[in-house]
Formats: sequence, C-alpha cells, structure tokens
Amino acid sequence: MKITETEVEYVAKLANLEVHEDERAELAEQLSRIVEYVEQLNKVDVSSVEPTTQILDGIKHAVRDDRVAARTGSSDAGKTVKLFKVPKVITER
Amino acid sequence: MNLKNITADKLVALYKNGDLSVTEVIRSVFDEIDRTDKDVHAYITLCKERAFEDARRIDSKIAAGESLEPLSGVPVAIKDNMALRDVPTSCGSKMLEGYTPPYTATAVERLRTAGAIVVGKTNMDEFAMGSSTENSAFFATRNPHNLDCVPGGSSGGSAAAVAAGMAMISLGSDTGGSIRTPAAFCGVAGIKPTYGRVSRYGLVAFASSLDQIGPFAKSVRECAQALEVICGFDHFDSTSADIPVEPLLRDLEHSVKDVRIGIPREYFIPGMDPEVKARLEKCIKVYEDMGCKLEEISLPHTEQAIATYYLIATAEASSNLARYDGVRYGVRKGGDAGLNDMYRKTRMNGFGKEVKRRILLGTYALSAGYYDAYYLKALKVRTLILQDFRKAFERVDMILTPTSPTVAFRIGEKADDPLSMYLSDIFTITCNLAGLPGISIPCGKNSAGLPIGMQLLANHFQEALLLRAAFNFEKAFLVQ
Repeated sequence: MKITETEVEYVAKLANLEVHEDERAELAEQLSRIVEYVEQLNKVDVSSVEPTTQILDGIKHAVRDDRVAARTGSSDAGKTVKLFKVPKVITER
Repeated sequence: MNLKNITADKLVALYKNGDLSVTEVIRSVFDEIDRTDKDVHAYITLCKERAFEDARRIDSKIAAGESLEPLSGVPVAIKDNMALRDVPTSCGSKMLEGYTPPYTATAVERLRTAGAIVVGKTNMDEFAMGSSTENSAFFATRNPHNLDCVPGGSSGGSAAAVAAGMAMISLGSDTGGSIRTPAAFCGVAGIKPTYGRVSRYGLVAFASSLDQIGPFAKSVRECAQALEVICGFDHFDSTSADIPVEPLLRDLEHSVKDVRIGIPREYFIPGMDPEVKARLEKCIKVYEDMGCKLEEISLPHTEQAIATYYLIATAEASSNLARYDGVRYGVRKGGDAGLNDMYRKTRMNGFGKEVKRRILLGTYALSAGYYDAYYLKALKVRTLILQDFRKAFERVDMILTPTSPTVAFRIGEKADDPLSMYLSDIFTITCNLAGLPGISIPCGKNSAGLPIGMQLLANHFQEALLLRAAFNFEKAFLVQ
C-alpha cells in the first residue's frame, strides 16, 4: 500500500512528531517501500495461529512485593528531582 | 601492554602475582585509546578519573594480600544505552543530551562487582536503531580492520573497542543482531543470550520483547567469563528469567562429539557473498572433523522474518520512545504554544532521521484500522517462526549459519536506503523473534582482509552448549 504525505502527517501527529514539509515526500516514499515489503506477510496463512507476546513458556513475569527495596548502589532518583516543570497544560477558552 | 595479546584470566593472574599493576594497565589502555580512537571513534564518553580510582583501589587490595574477583582490573567498555551512575547516557542521541542516570544497570553493576573497570561508554546507532553505527547523532564509528568500512551495528562502538584493543571485554545489546553483526564485522566474539537471561534493568528500552544484553570479547572464553558474571535473575526486571544459571566455564573445553548441528537451507540465499559461503562450508567441515553430526534442516518462515521483525520492533519502539517528550529527560524545545507544542518540537529536534522513520512505521502499524493487518499479523507470524525452531530443535542441538550475508560494507553504502540496511539483518533477527541464544565468532577473513563471522544458535537457556561449541571451533580453527 502506498503511504501518502497526508498519512505521514496524520501518523506524525499520533506520534507527537513534527515532520517538516520538505521531509514529507521522502518519508512517504521510504515508508511506502517498507510497508510494501512487509505486506509479504499477507501470503502467510495465520487463520489458526495464536499471536506470540511472551516467548518463554512457563516463565511468568516476576512481580516483586510492593515495598521500597534497597539495592547495591541504589538509585538517587526522586532524591535529586522532585518536580518536573512543564508548560501550561490547560488553556482558557 | 597490548590487550589483544593477553586474556582476562591471564591478566588477573599477573595482577595476583604482583607482576603487573592495575594502574599501569589502565594507563596503557587510555594511551591506546589516545592513539587509536581518533580514527576508530568507538567511545562517546571516557571514564578516566573513575577508572584510575578503581585501579588504585584494586592495587591496594592486592598489596594488602586480599583475594581478587574473577574480573578484577579487567578494562571493559559499555554501550551507551546502559546506565552507569553519574556518567552521561546518550543512547547515541541528541535527545538525551545532559542526562546523567542516578543508578547503574544490573549487568554493569555485576561486572563492576566482579572487579571489572569501566573505561568508557561506546558509540551506537541512535537508540540502537541501525546495523552500521552510522546512525549515531555524534559520529560514525569505523571498522578497525578497514577504516573505510562500518563496524556493524548497533553496538559498533563496543565491538570496535575490543577489536582495536581499547577494552578487553565490552557489553552490547542485541534486538535484531546488534551484538552479533558488529562481532562478525569486527572479527571478535559476541553472544546474545536467551531472552530473560540477562537483566535489562538500566538498559534503555528499544523493543522490550526482543532486547537482550550480552558481552563481546576477542576470545570465547572471555565471553563466557563475562556472561557468567552478568546473567541470572534480577528482581528489578520483570521479564528476567528466574531459572538457575548453568555454569558456563566448567565444561567449556569438553568435546562436542556427537552434537547434532543443523544447517538451515533457507539461510544459504542467493546474493550471499561467495567468500562468506565458501568460508561457512569450511566451518561445517571443522565440526564434522570434531565428530559432530551435521544435517540439513528447514526453517520455512525465514523469508518472513524481516517483515515480522520490523513491524514488532518498530511498534514496541514507538511505544517505548513516547517517554522522550522533553518532560523528564535531556533536551526540551518549544513550549511557547503549550505542552503539545513542547512535545512535538522536542521530539522533532531530539530524534534523528532513522528513529523518526521507525517511530512513524511503528505508530502506523499500531494505528486504528491497521493494527490487525500489520501488528497482530506479525505477532502471529512470530508464532510460526518460533514453531519452526521448536521443530528444528527436536532434531538438532544447534544451528549453524553465517552471521551476515556479507562482510563489513563501506561507510555510506547503505545509508540512504533503509530497506537494504534492514535486509542485511536477515540471519540474525530470527534468533531475537524466537528469544534464542546466539553467538557470532570469527571464522577467517575474506581476500580483502575483512573478518567473516559464523553464527551458532541453540535452544532457550543453552548458552553453555553454545559457548562450548564455539570454544571448540576456535581451538580447532587456530590450529589450522
């Protein structure tokens, strides 16, 4: 499938990226080639195949107890930076 | 002291006997970096002060007659996507400019606990996205065997540092071949362990279901030493495998007689460099002479692996890299027109071309209307690729392939053609999709003097077998 410059702009917006006007044509062309390439997956019959998200059977995601735990050379995160200042989020109508 | 002529265990033995001081070795490493790195460009940041401090501390331990750790005083390099407390982590990107992590990655911490001394952080393709280390936002790393060629990527700096004698061991990360390809191109050994074998805590995430940390070294034994130190369960990585670690050094020298090795017919593709092919045929012969049983096998979904990989990896990356928005890390741009303006301007300025391309592709594959057609489809084909390997490992213990269809290519050769760069990963990415361990070891050079790599793959958690087979090959090969 061909990806148009409008689609590049749309996807860029979804990804919180700004794409310069002069980059758009090149990106549309490159992404089209890649998407055309990955479309070879359509040749594969996956009608009765389950998707794989975790490779290893029998390995469950390790979840530790929700306690503050020290480790060697433990982190200073949270000590050095308490607040992140950002631009105004809510604007007046 | 030339690191290329001595192994880690011999170095530690010399320290123990008082024949050599750690400080003088570290000094010679930085001298070598001064001489060589202006051409190779393997390092982004050097940790000189800290390295000499560590060296003095170990020297006084030796003077006091205290016992040493397995890697005491061994100079190591770390890919710049792993956190080392108080040292900048750039990920090869302008995005993380000024970011200094307040903690150390588990794998790096374990190397340090084993006595290793970090001499520096190495160059890489931005956010590990690339196969040549040309995508670094700072500079391209060059191949020590031929400075006009790429070192492979994305862990090109780590491979080049070891190949040029600027570190004894280094760490890289491998999402689709980023350890094995540079190992092959630079003529060193590099292993990507089973998914979950080494903790990813402190590794900047690219594609979380594929990423894995592993070591480079000039010899298989040193690779095994480093891996034995860094692997094992870690509470701080929820995907870390809580299963016992086999000793990797104990049986390293045992014979591989009767080990069954599969040669996948799909890996001998048209377009493969004839010199690489001829060399691989010699490798097969080496294993036959050692009493291994070789047979042809089939991995029928190999052809779909690159497409599957580039959908899954970019989809995961688009999600992982959403955190770089100017709020917590590195640079911040824009913001006059509010928060969204800041997000977009920061990301536009902070990310390089390839990273943007992959974020766009991943976002596209995950977007409404395309999720089922691209991302979900890729997850299903991933199942088929995994099944191919399951079937293969019922018949064979290991799989032997070239690491790359070619030797190191020239700088700039593939830079303008992303798809052709992606296609160069054909032999390495199936291993990540299936979560298998894989090793690349040098198996000679082509007529132009560029190294050729041989890849061995084994079933999950079979690192000991993989290293033993690689060690036996290395020994037989050196005799030839």
